[in-house]
Amino acid sequence: MRLPTPSSLRQHLFCGVTLGLLALAAPFPVVQAILHALLVLALAPRPGAPLSGALWAVAAGWVLEGTLRLYPHLGGTAWANLTVVLLAGWMAGRWPLEGLRGWLARLAGLGILHGLLVHGAVRLATGPHPWGWGWLGSLLTLPLWAWLTWRLLHPHAGTGRR
Amino acid sequence: MALRASRWRWSRAGWQRLALVLLWVGHGTWVLMGPASGQRWSRAGEAITRPSQGLAARWAERRLAQRDAALELAELRADRVRLAAELEQARLQAAREAPRQAEADEAVRLLGLKKHIPLDLGAARVIFSTRPAVFGGLILDQGLDRGLVQDQGVLVPEGIVGRLWSVSATQSKVLPADAPNASVGVMLMRSRATGVLQGLGSGRALIRYVSNQEVVQVGEAVLTSGLDRVFPRGLLVGYVAEVTPGDLELRVILNLSAPLDRVSAVLLLPPQPPVEVQPPFLAPDVKPSKKRGTP
Repeated sequence: MRLPTPSSLRQHLFCGVTLGLLALAAPFPVVQAILHALLVLALAPRPGAPLSGALWAVAAGWVLEGTLRLYPHLGGTAWANLTVVLLAGWMAGRWPLEGLRGWLARLAGLGILHGLLVHGAVRLATGPHPWGWGWLGSLLTLPLWAWLTWRLLHPHAGTGRR
Repeated sequence: MALRASRWRWSRAGWQRLALVLLWVGHGTWVLMGPASGQRWSRAGEAITRPSQGLAARWAERRLAQRDAALELAELRADRVRLAAELEQARLQAAREAPRQAEADEAVRLLGLKKHIPLDLGAARVIFSTRPAVFGGLILDQGLDRGLVQDQGVLVPEGIVGRLWSVSATQSKVLPADAPNASVGVMLMRSRATGVLQGLGSGRALIRYVSNQEVVQVGEAVLTSGLDRVFPRGLLVGYVAEVTPGDLELRVILNLSAPLDRVSAVLLLPPQPPVEVQPPFLAPDVKPSKKRGTP
């Protein structure tokens, strides 16, 4: 069963709220990393409308780096976000979701790829830097926020279990 | 044409794709530039602008050198103007002081001569010269008021000038030795032959009464003989210029050594001086010598 795409307004509303929370969560880097992954991997990608998702992802990257105030040269996270969100959007169009399990698996794979890409892009932009614990927090809490976003974006859909 | 235009018209999805590509490429370029992009751009800019910077530096150095040269030139010009003014002032001062300086020099020379003649010599200044005129002479600034009398000998360091011909109250006239009516007792230095000087004018004179038997050489010094009781023996008169044998006597012509046309101050011998005077002994100026080792 193919799930219907969430409405554009609803998705943009969630993205805006998450972006605001991302900015406000600056004192808590792990929480910020979780919100960042949530926004880029789960909320921003939209099949058939890559530009809006890309802009949300880029905005998330710049907000994260701007609030962290750690890097001497910003832009690496935004570039990684852009790449991942384009890939996620393409995957959403190419392989439509059918249930929560696929959603979790896809987010897990994209999360790992996103962590690696962010680290590599930031390394390219600023040079060697510590990994921190944000990636681990986002991966450990992935089931939680994946389920949460699933419920937000597809409120009428089931869990996919039969 | 319409079909072709519609074929190449950009759709909304195309614009979105272009924006995405530009966004992704722009971000990637920005990321790849890295943290030292500013330094890289600076280095690239420096490499590009190095020639122009070199030229600008050379130009600035040249301008600086030109400015320094201009300043130096201005200073040199100011110095030159100042030095020219000082030179002009010094020249004016020297011109102003020249007569006094010449008079001082003449006085020094007269004092030197006075040391060598142990007589009571007086000094006088020549205030006018009538030598170009017939029977002309020199006018002195002293006369009877200073006790001058006729026939006093007049001389300068180079030699004798003549004798006092007439003396008035405040002035006196000198009959120069080259006047036709002048007569001075002379003798030749080498042969000691005596004669009487008779003027020929223009600083020349003829010695009369020198025997044909005498040997007189051109260039020989002629001194006063002291027999005329005007000049003592041994004062320089002049040098023999020409010797011609005559019937009875030699015709000896001499050039007077005193510059009669340029005399400005003279010494006056006392009346009726002794025939012969002994020059005083003047100890030469000897530098005090130090013996080695003495303090």
